[in-house]
Amino acid sequence: MRAEGIFGEAVDRIGGEPISARMARKAPVRHLDLTLLIVTLLLSAFGALMIYSATVHQQASSGIDPYLKKQLVYMVVGFIVLLTVSFFDYRYLRAFAPFIYGGIVLGLLIVLSPIGSTQLGATRWIDLGSFQVQPSELAKVGIIVALGAYLAERRGEVKARDVAACCAIVAVPAALIFLEPDLGTALVFVAILMTLFLVAGAKIRHFLALVLLGVAVIAGALHFGLVQQYQIDRFTAFMDPHPNVQSVGYNLTQAKIAIASGGLEGKGLEGKNTQTSLNFVPEQHTDFIFTAVGEQLGFLGSATLLGLFALLIWRALRIATLSRDFFGTLLACGILALWAFQIFVNVGMTMGIMPITGIPLPFISFGGSSLITNFASIGVLLNVHMRRFL
Amino acid sequence: MVKGSGSSQQRQNSLGVDRLTLRIAVLGVLVVAAFVTLFSRLWFLQVLATDQYQALAKQNRVRTVYSEPPRGRILDRNGRPLVVNKESIAVTIDQDTLQSGSLRRHVFKRLARLLGIKLKDLHRNASSLGASPYKPVPVAYGVSEQDANVILENREDYPGVGVATLPVRAYPAGALAAQDLGYVGEISPADLKLPQFKGGHPPYAPGDIVGKLGVERVYDRYLRGVPGIQRVVVNSLGEPTQTRRVQQEQPGPDLVLSLDEKIQRETQRALKSGITAARAAGFAAPAGSAVVMDPRNGQVLALASLPTYDPAIAANGLTAKEFNRLGAATPNNPDDDAFLNRPIQAAANPGSTFKVVTAGAAMATGVASPYSTRDCPGTMTIPPQGGPGSVLYHDWTLADLGIMGFPQSLEVSCDTFYYQLGYEMQTRFGVKGTEFWSKNKTDVPAGRELFQRYARTAGFGHPTGIDLPYENSGVVPDQSWCHAQYLATKKFPTPTCQFGWLPGYTVNMSIGQGDMRATPLQMAVTYAAIANGGTVWSPRIAMGLQRQNQNGTVKTLRKFKPRVMAHLPLDQTELGVIQQGLQEVISNPNGTAYSAFAGYPLSKYPIAGKTGTAQIGTSAFNDAWFISYGPIPSPRYVIAVYVQKAGHGGESAAPIARQIWESIFGIKHKSTVRLGQDQSG
Repeated sequence: MRAEGIFGEAVDRIGGEPISARMARKAPVRHLDLTLLIVTLLLSAFGALMIYSATVHQQASSGIDPYLKKQLVYMVVGFIVLLTVSFFDYRYLRAFAPFIYGGIVLGLLIVLSPIGSTQLGATRWIDLGSFQVQPSELAKVGIIVALGAYLAERRGEVKARDVAACCAIVAVPAALIFLEPDLGTALVFVAILMTLFLVAGAKIRHFLALVLLGVAVIAGALHFGLVQQYQIDRFTAFMDPHPNVQSVGYNLTQAKIAIASGGLEGKGLEGKNTQTSLNFVPEQHTDFIFTAVGEQLGFLGSATLLGLFALLIWRALRIATLSRDFFGTLLACGILALWAFQIFVNVGMTMGIMPITGIPLPFISFGGSSLITNFASIGVLLNVHMRRFL
Repeated sequence: MVKGSGSSQQRQNSLGVDRLTLRIAVLGVLVVAAFVTLFSRLWFLQVLATDQYQALAKQNRVRTVYSEPPRGRILDRNGRPLVVNKESIAVTIDQDTLQSGSLRRHVFKRLARLLGIKLKDLHRNASSLGASPYKPVPVAYGVSEQDANVILENREDYPGVGVATLPVRAYPAGALAAQDLGYVGEISPADLKLPQFKGGHPPYAPGDIVGKLGVERVYDRYLRGVPGIQRVVVNSLGEPTQTRRVQQEQPGPDLVLSLDEKIQRETQRALKSGITAARAAGFAAPAGSAVVMDPRNGQVLALASLPTYDPAIAANGLTAKEFNRLGAATPNNPDDDAFLNRPIQAAANPGSTFKVVTAGAAMATGVASPYSTRDCPGTMTIPPQGGPGSVLYHDWTLADLGIMGFPQSLEVSCDTFYYQLGYEMQTRFGVKGTEFWSKNKTDVPAGRELFQRYARTAGFGHPTGIDLPYENSGVVPDQSWCHAQYLATKKFPTPTCQFGWLPGYTVNMSIGQGDMRATPLQMAVTYAAIANGGTVWSPRIAMGLQRQNQNGTVKTLRKFKPRVMAHLPLDQTELGVIQQGLQEVISNPNGTAYSAFAGYPLSKYPIAGKTGTAQIGTSAFNDAWFISYGPIPSPRYVIAVYVQKAGHGGESAAPIARQIWESIFGIKHKSTVRLGQDQSG
């Protein structure tokens, strides 16, 4: 289908343009989703600022805030991971999916082995000297790849056997994470699974069956005492309107006070942000970071943050539709589900409309594994977007 | 949505684009719903409900801390301290730490064993009204240093238990004027509702330590001082991060009383000695009072009440047991109540000491002139013409003492003389029977009951207005009182005043008997009026407030001035005959107090007085009164002595007064009271 052009170059017979020009037009770097990249950088900068403001008051000595410093390092590492992930064609991931899956299961097993490191009563980390890795965070994106690879093979025809297989794929890492214990992250896996079922073409009867299974699992877990009392307390605390100072509801009460007292314009980063600067909100730089946003920046700042998240989700949804293949669509939808679920549960929990679970706010909460996972996810999205014409 | 390039065309065919687009759209709708939910919740919290939560945030971090300023001292008129503060070691508990039931029980049990106090008392103190969740609550005062060290050295055994030094009251003058000074304690819910404890700066609150009796109570508003107020910003651990002083602490100013420590001490001693002597002579003499007052300005120099108590025992908080021991054993008989301030609270028949009032009333109403005379028979029938309902009245002696004027009538204390004056006032101004009774009240027109009106002017039937709590008004019986008594007792077989006002009531009142009742302070006030030319003072015990600066200089902050209540409607001549009679009571060999003052240097320190012997219905013993003033001609002191159930006035009351006079004037005297002789009524 080629003809010789006037300069002896290969020319497309229909378009009449040189093949090299067409190849160049399709080059991945020319289809970079710049909007997504900018949103990513804005969000992580926003997060770094909030971590700084939430922790600077705890530091006795002056100098650079150690939390901010660490988070900046994580951002640099995360950006390198992003570049790496977007450099290789995402379609290789399909081939590597079994190895990725095996890797995350291995990582989670190491966490539960004596090597795992325990903080605040939960064993979630692997200690690597100066920093710690939280495999359950990395597992989030890993499971998306594994499920995407499996479901892409089904080409939109999901059978009961496939549903069962996917459930089994998710059940192993989710159970390991639940044992850490980390109920919240385990639930993220369920959200990803459900989303991918929806997109991959599961039938309504599959969903009904899963709901019944879910009810049975919850009932069983409660009956056999697999769920700890504090987990139930945290889960139900948001329904108690008058919590005791010592009870679980204390976090929630202080979080709500922090957000709501911020008002329309917020109390600013200095001086009057008493809930933040006097450490009334526990875990404020990690799971309750949104309270720092709410108190200091008010409705305007919080709405801006939610707006940036909406932009992020919109880009992911757009990439899902633009993807050249079904695998790319599933990857984009999985990542979308990961973020949307975490944002909704995390922000909802600080405002008292969702149960309290240990789920970080993407790009904003302090934490290396979470940030790097999110940067890697951005890398996957950019990858799908860039290679939509190849 | 999907661009129509060649490769995607292929995918479209194999997968069915419509279904995939639909599924992604469902996902999109779910995400949009989630974001709408978050935005609306954010709007609700930060825009609609922000005011409420801003208040909560403020509450969260700002604590108001009140300091406890030292209470003002109480000094006598010469600056001698009567009540001061001393440091006492107190054991406190932190309610927050000891919130849980089992820990609290354990720690309290251990504390009770260490301090040797009842577990019940500990729990009661800990759950007092003022127990603040942010402030350690004192549960035991006066703890020994040794016990305090045990607690401090074994912190782990006593979680939430602290040791603090708190100021408590101390009494350097000893058990002096206990009922006048009063004591302090935690404010009661009933007190909180009183107008006296309404408002205040800052407002009185449960748990405040306030005066419960005496001047501690009346002048609490000043003595308590002004607490320092700090607004403390705390972090989530309750650690203060910054402090702003809203109000500077000001110790309570010193309260200067008109009491003279020396005179008070001597008065108490003489009263006690007199009561001991009366008891030795076979009288019951359960209680007594004495007042020393300055007739020139109404200042009270001494106010003694027996039985009394040592105020120091109340300094660390009065236990229920002590309160019961010191209070009346039976509610109906307060003879042994040590808390009763008898000079102002115990009203009794004044007996013959009241005759000066009858004399004054007779002259003021024109029934008699200063030079009038009356017969003094041993008995007399009233009404004189006899007839049904007439009563035979006795003098205290059967002898007919002949015709006499006012001075002699007082000197020999002739009852029949005063019966006549009383009856004459009754026939001219009195009311009879149920005159002026209406359904619920009685309005006696002006111009009637002039005897009673005079008595009220002279200071009876209403509180004198002294600055001490719970003063008794006494009783001036009249038609409206009679009617009220009838209404209160009409269900009984023989109601009081069932026939209305009878002339005999006035006759009885004329010698201070019947239902006429007066407190020793009221008697002192009326004798002060006779002594000072007619001014009826509302007495005062506090003179002013002052503050001693660091360099020792004293700054007067405020003066409390005595108030003139009334003037006796008598001219100098009329007062003169009464004064003359009162002098002769002591100086004339026929005087009822002559024997009690035998050997007293009357020429050097001339005084005047009147005995009183009040018969009490069923009691075998009379109440003894003696009211006197001096030195004549310009009296500086009025002394009223009243001893319950101790015989005649000249017998047991006058010797007590004599001791007080002797110590005031610095006359050498025996240290114990010897009873005098007096048979008068």
